[in-house]
Amino acid sequence: MDSEQPIAADTKPWRNPNATPFVRIKNVTKKFGDVTAVDNVSLDIFKGELFCLLGGSGSGKSTLLRMLAGFEEMTSGTIEIDGQDMANVPPYKRPVNMMFQSYALFPHMNVAANIAYGLKRDGIGRAEINDRIEELLKLVKLTGYEKRKPDQLSGGQRQRIALARALARQPKLLLLDEPLGALDKKLREETQFELVNIQETLGVTFIVVTHDQEEAMSLATRIGVMDEGTIAQIGEPRDIYEYPNSRFVADFVGSVNMFEGQVIEDEHDHLRIRSSELGGDIYVGHGVACAPGQTLWFALRPEKIQLQRQKPNTEENFTKGTVDDVIYLGDISTYRITLDSGKSVHVTKPNIARYDEENISWDETVYLVWSSDAGAVLTS
Amino acid sequence: MTSAAPTKDNGKRPWQFVIRLLAKLGLSGRTLVIAAPTLWLLVFFLIPFAVVCKIALSEAVIARPPYLPLLEWTDDGRMIVTLNFANFQFLAEDTLYIAAYLSSLKIAFFSTLYALIIAYPMAYFIARSRENIRNILLMLVILPFWTSFLLRVYAWIGFLKGNGVINNFLMSTGIISDPLPMLHSEFAVYVGIVYTYLPFMILPLYTNLVKLDGAMLEAAADLGARPMTTFFTVTLPLSIPGIIAGSMLVFIPAVGEFVIPALLGGPDTLMIGRVLWDEFFSNRDWPVASAVAIAMLVVMVLPIMFLRNAQPTSESV
Repeated sequence: MDSEQPIAADTKPWRNPNATPFVRIKNVTKKFGDVTAVDNVSLDIFKGELFCLLGGSGSGKSTLLRMLAGFEEMTSGTIEIDGQDMANVPPYKRPVNMMFQSYALFPHMNVAANIAYGLKRDGIGRAEINDRIEELLKLVKLTGYEKRKPDQLSGGQRQRIALARALARQPKLLLLDEPLGALDKKLREETQFELVNIQETLGVTFIVVTHDQEEAMSLATRIGVMDEGTIAQIGEPRDIYEYPNSRFVADFVGSVNMFEGQVIEDEHDHLRIRSSELGGDIYVGHGVACAPGQTLWFALRPEKIQLQRQKPNTEENFTKGTVDDVIYLGDISTYRITLDSGKSVHVTKPNIARYDEENISWDETVYLVWSSDAGAVLTS
Repeated sequence: MTSAAPTKDNGKRPWQFVIRLLAKLGLSGRTLVIAAPTLWLLVFFLIPFAVVCKIALSEAVIARPPYLPLLEWTDDGRMIVTLNFANFQFLAEDTLYIAAYLSSLKIAFFSTLYALIIAYPMAYFIARSRENIRNILLMLVILPFWTSFLLRVYAWIGFLKGNGVINNFLMSTGIISDPLPMLHSEFAVYVGIVYTYLPFMILPLYTNLVKLDGAMLEAAADLGARPMTTFFTVTLPLSIPGIIAGSMLVFIPAVGEFVIPALLGGPDTLMIGRVLWDEFFSNRDWPVASAVAIAMLVVMVLPIMFLRNAQPTSESV
């Protein structure tokens, strides 16, 4: 899951405190009756970004997207796009286009008419429209499909036509609601790379809503994790995965083993946590803002743990358990291990050899070992 | 196996032997299910229709029944078939009938159009209402059916007549000084037909519009279409199947309508249903009446066939 693409530093404007955001969401709240769908969200998105709003159902991510498109009115707050306040601007006047989760292609129009729909509204001439249709179909690799009706297209083709239609008016900002949600796994993997390519070619700012953390990781320049109407964390995919700021984020993005413990040693360069759940001490190789005796959580990803049969020579950062289950997944194997405290821990291990006689197997007693910077300390 | 099976089947499914018996005759349950409506159509539609065709081709006489048989056996064993096409010829020659057909089609066409114009916003409004209100509104549309159709047409007489509700109201407010002659006019026929058949237009339109995906409308707005443009480019084209279904349900009965023109129409309101009634009961000319009926059927089957052909393309939509 390497998200580190060869992007120059100047393509990461969010790292520059003086950069002007392209989309500015300030203190936006949306209430449906008594239910607060979006709760005081502030968010800056920069030009050329591919920003992912990641969250479960009911997290408010779609509502936020619909407010950007103008389909929902904000209860309070402001949204600015390219310096222009969007309050009271109806959807048909916004410099924004949306790709719908259901694609919402017009079934009574063929592919060409669907793509031309927005261009006709803008009063563009016939010849120019035809050029544009050809250009867009080439972009989404569906040249020659002009005369097809949406019901004569496969799911993947419909998805691309929806993308072409949304891009037709050359919007400054493209909103994508679960763009790959309706595609099967294989097609989704192909399409997500194409989507990134198109985004990079055109330089359009994308905001993508998704509930699929893998999709968010592979697409996004930055991810905003949403929970119960608020933004739990904003960051680059690697930050979100390796340095989650809360138990919610750690748990929502990827899988994680969470150990509750108390601070027994709090120094500026290290931290020692005693966890009865773990049955041992955790030594963290960096300082954390906390107080001695405070309860906190240690989040350890399954791939950061090593399994071995011999007891390590250290005092901390290891524990002992019994292998309950080994699940062979091809590229990796997942081990489910029960610690002496009764807590269940997941560990993954890449299957480097095709056949490994020495492999750890069911009912073995094993030691779980990790390095001092392998996990994240969470205070909330 | 065959000796054990019956006792087991008899306990579980006592009707099993009926099915087995029918299977021996080559009849499966499926055939029977299809046979029931087919028989119904045969007995109550096709056979009566054949009788009407027969009468239309016979000659009128003053007798009982008031027409001559088609087949006659002579003493020397020959069968004489007399087919009398004079009735149809008569229809074509007498301008009354052609005028009546055209007038019926015209009244039916404009009634359908008015019903569509009134029903569309109503159906749209119901389809866009909140779900719990929708059923109440639909109930209100269907509610008039709880009263007899005839009574409701009579009620309109009370509204439209010289000293009826509308005229009394307009005169008491001083808007008019003399009552408007509304009853016994083509206007009253339009009112009656549109009022009576409005639910038949609303219901299919509603069923269509309620299925309209809200995302479609949002997509149109997103692509720069104002609400009016969205309506004419997305909502209206997608509701064509509903418009066709509703229009057929209004147009077809309106062409042959008899009660409404008889009660609300004036002496100059010419509709084929009334002509048919006069021919049958006043003139006692059954053959001509039958010919009128068959010609009406042909006149109506043509637009239906046209619309049926138009439907598949709009339904693939």
